[in-house]
Amino acid sequence: MNGTTLLDPTAETAPADRELTPRKASLDGLTVGLLDISKPRGDVFLDRLEENLGRRGASVLRFAKPTFTKPAPADLRHEIATTCDAVIEALAD
Amino acid sequence: MHDIDDLERRGLPGVVVASEPFADAAETQARALGLDVARVFTPHPVQDRTDDEMHAMADATVDAIVAALIGS
Amino acid sequence: MEDEAEAMYERGWTDGLPVVPPTEARVLAMLEGTTRRPDEVVALLPPNLAECTVEKVAVNAVLAGCRPEYLPVVLAAVEAVCTDEFNMHGILATTMGVGPVLVVNGPIADRIGMNSGINALGHGNRANLTIGRALQLVVRNVGGGRPGEVDRATHGSPAKLSFCFAEDETGSPWTTLAEDRGFARDADVVTAFCGEAPRIVVDQKSRSADSLVRALAEGLRSAVSPRTVMGMDAMLVVSPEHVARFRDAGWDRARFMEELGGHLMVEADTILAGAGGIEEGVPEGFAGTTLPKFRPGGLLVVHAGGPAGLFSSVVGGWLNGPMGSEPTSREITP
Repeated sequence: MNGTTLLDPTAETAPADRELTPRKASLDGLTVGLLDISKPRGDVFLDRLEENLGRRGASVLRFAKPTFTKPAPADLRHEIATTCDAVIEALAD
Repeated sequence: MHDIDDLERRGLPGVVVASEPFADAAETQARALGLDVARVFTPHPVQDRTDDEMHAMADATVDAIVAALIGS
Repeated sequence: MEDEAEAMYERGWTDGLPVVPPTEARVLAMLEGTTRRPDEVVALLPPNLAECTVEKVAVNAVLAGCRPEYLPVVLAAVEAVCTDEFNMHGILATTMGVGPVLVVNGPIADRIGMNSGINALGHGNRANLTIGRALQLVVRNVGGGRPGEVDRATHGSPAKLSFCFAEDETGSPWTTLAEDRGFARDADVVTAFCGEAPRIVVDQKSRSADSLVRALAEGLRSAVSPRTVMGMDAMLVVSPEHVARFRDAGWDRARFMEELGGHLMVEADTILAGAGGIEEGVPEGFAGTTLPKFRPGGLLVVHAGGPAGLFSSVVGGWLNGPMGSEPTSREITP
């Protein structure tokens, strides 16, 4: 934040107030999106993860963010949301 | 975190995979986002690992990732 | 580096409009606006019933764009809405598009540059807009009351961003809203009313007080719905040109309220459930009776607006009484 500290306007005690999206019972038949945040070595991790998920019954679609410094572009998020049943984002380090 | 938060809003179960030092930041972010985003952590560092080490890391975390993605 | 404005959106600190970054320097300057200690607890903020300190109000006042001299008004407004009788929690959670409407009385309004004239209920005045907005940001950020979460309004309303104005006291022949509610003329007072966005009632023809009061009553009868009686309050914002009719006729506030009340009696048969082929309405048991549109004290009358325009404005309310919200006033202290 350009070195400026902003004071928190919230109560700072507020618990998470939204619930996670309900999960499916199993991986079987699920299309899982793997979103590479595009940090070095992440692709090697994701390649292996893809193999593992495939063995467990999931189909995998691969996506990559243009840069790890920003949220994924809206079009990319839309594409993932409309083609996948679940999503894994990796690998932030 | 923002991406998964957004995709969760769109109805997709999501998991963030990050290395261990990001646990605190992820927690703060989750609080700020108002969503306890599912997250799995790997050992750190990552960028200097060999392919074999990266594969081992993926093998070691896949159970936790799947558990976070499907019903408990 | 993250953009500051974008970061504040992402943290969920804003109402959808940009906010001013609450730097330490700005918050300290804001706190100069009050003699109260930063760690003093002002109220428990719904829906999370979070303790809200003077400092938290100041941080949100910075976000909203307030100047330090507005802070005492924001603090009094926070106190007013966080009462059991005002019921901010219920107002937040209701599907009706209502929110806190603030009316400021007393010398402070002029002193901090509030607008009671042209566009008083609209845009263009920093004090009006940022005070109302600061209150809503406190509810959002400290209380955790966010649209789509606890705030369940079906449509909401642009008035939920900010709805705050001053009464034109010097131009009014009547006692002020605050006086009517038991405060001294020179007291600085903020009154919170649970209301929707304002709606115009046009009458450009009435030359007599008697004709105009009937027209205003007819406009008020449709507040919320022509079929609701007694259960919902309303606020009437009478314009200078309209109030002149009553001044000319020598009607003081009491006379006006009495005449208005007389024209707000509704033949129950016209609003019975099923009457006119409409299933909404009052129960059959009221057939043959006459019912007042508003409960005693359920109509707040304020004088504000620009010098030209033969219109007044109606602000429809919400459930009143213990189940809903009571209009609540607080003295503004330094």
